[in-house]
Order: sequence, then structure tokens, then C-alpha cells
Amino acid sequence: MTQKQRVANAAAYVLHALPYRETSLIVELFTRSHGRIGAVAKGAKRPRSALRGVLMEFQPLAASWSGGGELKTLTHAEWKGGQPMLAGRALLLGYYLNELLLNLLPREDAHVELFDAYARSIAELGAGGAAAPGLRRFERILLAELGYLPLLTETAEGGVALDPAGEYVFVPDRGALPAAGQSAHLVRYRGAVLNAIAADDYSDPAVLQQGRQLMRTLIDQVLDGRMLNSRRIFFEMQEP
Amino acid sequence: MSVPNSLDELIAALRCLPGVGPKSAQRMAYHLLQHERDGAQRLSRALLAALQNLRHCTRCNAFAESEICARCAAPRRDASLLCVVETPADLNMMEQSQLYNGLYYCLMGRIEPLGGVGPRELQIERLIVRASGGEVQEVILATNFTNEGEATAHYLAEVLRARGLKVSRIARGLPVGAELEYTDAGTIGQALVERRPL
Ligand SMILES: [Zn+2]
Repeated sequence: MTQKQRVANAAAYVLHALPYRETSLIVELFTRSHGRIGAVAKGAKRPRSALRGVLMEFQPLAASWSGGGELKTLTHAEWKGGQPMLAGRALLLGYYLNELLLNLLPREDAHVELFDAYARSIAELGAGGAAAPGLRRFERILLAELGYLPLLTETAEGGVALDPAGEYVFVPDRGALPAAGQSAHLVRYRGAVLNAIAADDYSDPAVLQQGRQLMRTLIDQVLDGRMLNSRRIFFEMQEP
Repeated sequence: MSVPNSLDELIAALRCLPGVGPKSAQRMAYHLLQHERDGAQRLSRALLAALQNLRHCTRCNAFAESEICARCAAPRRDASLLCVVETPADLNMMEQSQLYNGLYYCLMGRIEPLGGVGPRELQIERLIVRASGGEVQEVILATNFTNEGEATAHYLAEVLRARGLKVSRIARGLPVGAELEYTDAGTIGQALVERRPL
């Protein structure tokens, strides 16, 4: 993990940047080849720095870095283009995706499929249109890639394929179980709805609504009490 | 643990400055005590006076000596225009353009969705009260063209429009005097996305 690295032109996004010393930044990058990495961008806040204005969130970059410790040194970063800046609500949703990754993705653990899902979501947010199905798909892939997604298409005990007309509940740390005899506090999902969520098929509004509920429950479980700033601020900003 | 002596205390105090780590703080402290005793006296007086005298102007929220700062009290300025900026440094740049004669509101920050700075932390309510007093006809949003500046402008546009105010955003595009060949691709791309009819 702390091997000396020299990586050139890796596909990357900035998840977050914090000021560091007088003129530098510490950036958290999500890269396709190396997962999440932390790097110092020396002098990035100087007026004439080649990195100034490049290290923006939600823009596809080609990033180069070197170093062996926990924090790398960013040696170069360049815009790949093709992605308009996110605006309005889409921008706030983009922050939510970034905060999920910052909280749940350990450093230096490559997840190519998750990276591609993120890139696709950012592109969709930039293009406008309905954001919710894309967000649910990203959440599902995030949970699956990190090993937190229970089986959505069969029961937790016995591994029986879900009956599309049957009713199921999700029990934390176990998975889908037939609803009969389960606590009334647990949300009921129809088998057909869970199958649709597993296939990212949100053409039915009822699936979208329940998908949101299920992903929220599963993500809150993984966050284990940690609060997401972007989520709080998103809701604060919806109530003018 | 012993009580920190004056030197340790000074070094620790200097570390509250942005970008100052333990080494720089130590260097500054030695410099002030050894070579700059007059300067150090002046610094301590100026700091104390600024802390005692300065407050936020009730109209523009920037630092002021009195309840209303000189700029906000100037009779020649157009009170129907209110320009919203992130910081006093941004306000100074707007003034240097010499093309704006309205008034300002300084947010003293920006919405930071990951840093936990939202409308509440920024006290946006004060801006809303300032803008909806009846005098202001148009609010010009001059927050930065960063993602956080854009998020801030988006939110302000929504809440101010909901109160019947006309809201505009400063334009984004190529710098004055710029040639396409020497401009970064991001700026050109966004200028294309935001092109306007002629
Ligand atoms: Zn003022």
C-alpha cells in the first residue's frame, strides 16, 4: 500500500480539495486505476499555477502523481473535457456522490466498475434530465462493489428466488426475508420491485420510490451513524 | 504539564494564522522579539483596536468601524442594485472595475456542501432581509465560478426570486483581451455552453 508509485495520466475526478499551507491544496482524487488517493497539489493556489482552475470537482481529468506515503504528490493534471459544469440541483447531487465516496471508499483500493458508474452519473447529471434513476444505480453499484449489498433477488435464508407477487422485508445484516411474521416496523417490498431494483429498472414510479427508501436504509446502515453534510445542506436548500 | 511561558504562548498564538505551522510560528516569534520590537508593539495595538472597533456593517456585512460603513452610507450610490460577493477581497475587485455604482452584500464565505456550511451557517436570512426591504430592485450574484460559488448562486437565486426580486448572475466567458488559441479548454467549453444570441 505504501509502495513508491509513479503514475502518469490516470483517469481521475477530484472528490474534494482542502487548502494546505499558504498556496497548496490537498486533493482527494477518485482514479480509475488506483481508486481513491490523497495528494498534495503544491502551489495549486498560486495565480499562475498550471493546476489552478483545473482541480475542480465533477470534471474528468488526467492526473499524474508520485510518492509512496499516504499522501502522494500531484505532478500534473489536465482537463479531459466533454463535461459541462454541474448546475443547480444536479450540482448538489454531485456533492452527495462525492461525500459517499469520501466516507465509504478506503484509499488505494481500485474499483473500476464503480469509477465507470461514477463517471456515467456525473455525465448524466451534466446533461440534465431525471437524476433519480442514475443516483439509485450508483448507490447500488457502490454498495455492491464495497461488499455491502445484500442479495436483492433471493431470500437471505435458503436462497429462494423471490416471488414477484410475494412480500419481503430487509433485516439488517441478513437480507430479504418473507414478510410474514416480521416486525410491522419494517418496510414491505414486493418481490417484483426488488427484482427491478436489482436490474436498475426504474421505469415504474413505484420502484423508484421504494428504491430510494431501500438504498437510504442500506446506506445509513453502512454509514453507521455518520451524517452526510451534503444531504443535510441539500434538504436545507430545498426549503426557502 | 508546566504553564506555557510567554514565548510558548506567542508561538502557539501565531499558529492560528492560515498556512502557519510550528516552524514558521517559531520564526515569526523570534523575529518579532529580536528584530522588530516596535513592529510587534504596533501589531499588538492594531490587533486590539481592530478587534474592539470593527464589526459587520448592518447593510453590507463587510467589516466597518460604525454600524453602517462609509460605502453603504454614500448618497451617490444606486441603492436599487445589490451585488452579492463572497469576500471583502472580491468586493474590492468589483470596485476596481469602476463600472458598478450600486451597493454590496458580502457573504463572508460560500455554501460548502462537504464542509458543512449551508444557508444557516452563512446567515443567508440577513441577506434576504437586506434585499427585501423594498429599496433593492435587482440582486447581482457575483460569487465565484467554482462549484461552491455556483451552488451558492443557485440557492440565492431561488430564495430571492421566490421573494419577487429580479436576480442576475455576472457573465462567464473568455477573459478580456484573450485569444482562443491561448485560452484553457475548460473556459472555452463553458463559454460555448453558455453562448448568447446576438
Ligand atoms: Zn456597508
